[in-house]
Order: sequence, then structure tokens, then C-alpha cells
Amino acid sequence: MSKPKYAQLSDLIELDPIKHIDPKPLLGHWINSNPDTISIARINITEANGKLQLQVFAVGPDRLIDWGIASAEVFAPNPASSTGAGFTCTYDFGFAEARFQAMIMKGLLVLAQFHTFKDGSNRASYFMREYYAMTHEHFDQ
Amino acid sequence: MNYKQKSHLHPDLLNPAAANLDPDKLLGRWINTNWETRGIAECTVAREGDDINVHIIGVGEDGPIHWPTARATPLANLEEEAGQRTPAMTATFDLGFMRADTHIRINKGVFVIVLFVTFLDDSGRANYLNREFFYRQA
Repeated sequence: MSKPKYAQLSDLIELDPIKHIDPKPLLGHWINSNPDTISIARINITEANGKLQLQVFAVGPDRLIDWGIASAEVFAPNPASSTGAGFTCTYDFGFAEARFQAMIMKGLLVLAQFHTFKDGSNRASYFMREYYAMTHEHFDQ
Repeated sequence: MNYKQKSHLHPDLLNPAAANLDPDKLLGRWINTNWETRGIAECTVAREGDDINVHIIGVGEDGPIHWPTARATPLANLEEEAGQRTPAMTATFDLGFMRADTHIRINKGVFVIVLFVTFLDDSGRANYLNREFFYRQA
């Protein structure tokens, strides 16, 4: 069998093909470690039909804002692993886009957010990075 | 003004100086802190005209592997732990057989690349994420 193409030595591996990355470590209800956040307060992560799904609740000026459900892509910690360790996801609101890159570190979900505005408001694109802990509390709102 | 979270209304987003969008702190040649890395050996960030370009060199079996240069999107940093507000950027590297979506920032003087790799070649390798740390080449 010929070697696969690679761009860094860590990707040059031989393995039985990974057919599915198990998202189980990501599933649950995650709550922001910062109670004064001006960003995302809570995230519900579930699996439906083999796809990872997010439901985000963000802090608004006077109440939480439900962003609805979006599909996410699961990532492993290395190319030979079938265990979920992070995800990417995009919410497109029309006037703006929010892209996520998230990973689990030491039991915390570390969420990097990239916000870009498309409404001509001249708001700068910006970055945020916050930490979330798994909670046993269930929340719909 | 439309919003989906309170930070969308942050006044600094309309104030370029306060938003700290200037990526100059990210420019330069950055070397991996781990001499035994099997991933990214070094990264160079350069301003070319109005663009900020990122060039990565991966570790190969027989020598360095130059990734195609990617144009970065600079991002303001509203707030981070310990009150840090250093600029960040995203860049996507398309190598044909794989795509690497990255975000790059400086944390306490250390240049951090977070990499989300998606394989597009049906090689059976799992899509994966990784973080590597770099110091500025004097």
C-alpha cells in the first residue's frame, strides 16, 4: 500500500480506517465558567442521526437568546483516534456569521468564536475564547 | 443594530483603536518550542500590501514541507482571560488532500496555532485537532 500524502510527519500513519469519531465526550450541557460573560452562556450538545448538534444560548441585553440548532463536525485528538475531542460549527444569522472551533482540555470545553459582520455596520470582526464546564442541570432556556 | 449576543453591541467594535485589530504583534518568524515536533516546525506571518499572509513549514521524513501560503483574517480580541486583548487571526490552508482550518493568537508572548485538520483523500485518517506553541525568532 502506498503512503498517504502528508504535510507533517504526525499525519504519516498506517491504520485501519477510522469510520466514525465517537462524539460521546462532547455530549451534554455546558455552562460558561464566567457568570459575567457577554457572550455564550450555555451550550447543549447532542447527537442526532449520527451528526453532532449544538444549541446555543447567548447573553442578550435583557435575556438569553436561543440561537437554535446547528450541525457540527467532530474532530479527534489525532489522526489515528476515533474519540471526539472537539468540533467546528458555523451559525449564519444573515447580518453576521459566528464560527466556532472548540476543544476539550482538562475536562473543560474551550470555545474559540470568530464573529464577522455582513450588514455594513462597520463593526470589526472579532475573536473570543471562553471556558465551559459540563453541568448536570438541564436547560431549555 | 442587529445582534445575537451582547458582545455584538460592544462599543469597541466601532472603534478601531480600541478593538486592537492591528496584527503587527503577530508578524515575524515563529519557531516551534518543541524541537521534537512531528507537526509544524515554523510559521512566518508577513504583511504584503493590504494582506496578512501565513506560511507554515511542516516536518517531513526527508526535510521540510512548505505548505501553500494562506491569507489570514485579522480579528479584534474583545476580552480574554487575565484581561489579555492581543489580536488573533484565522487562516485556512488548502493542500488538496487535506484542509487545515487554524486560529492563531499570542498568549503571554507565546504564539499559539490551533489546527483543525480535515482529510479529503479517503485515507481513513480521522479528522483531528492539535495545538502547537512557538517563540519569536530574534
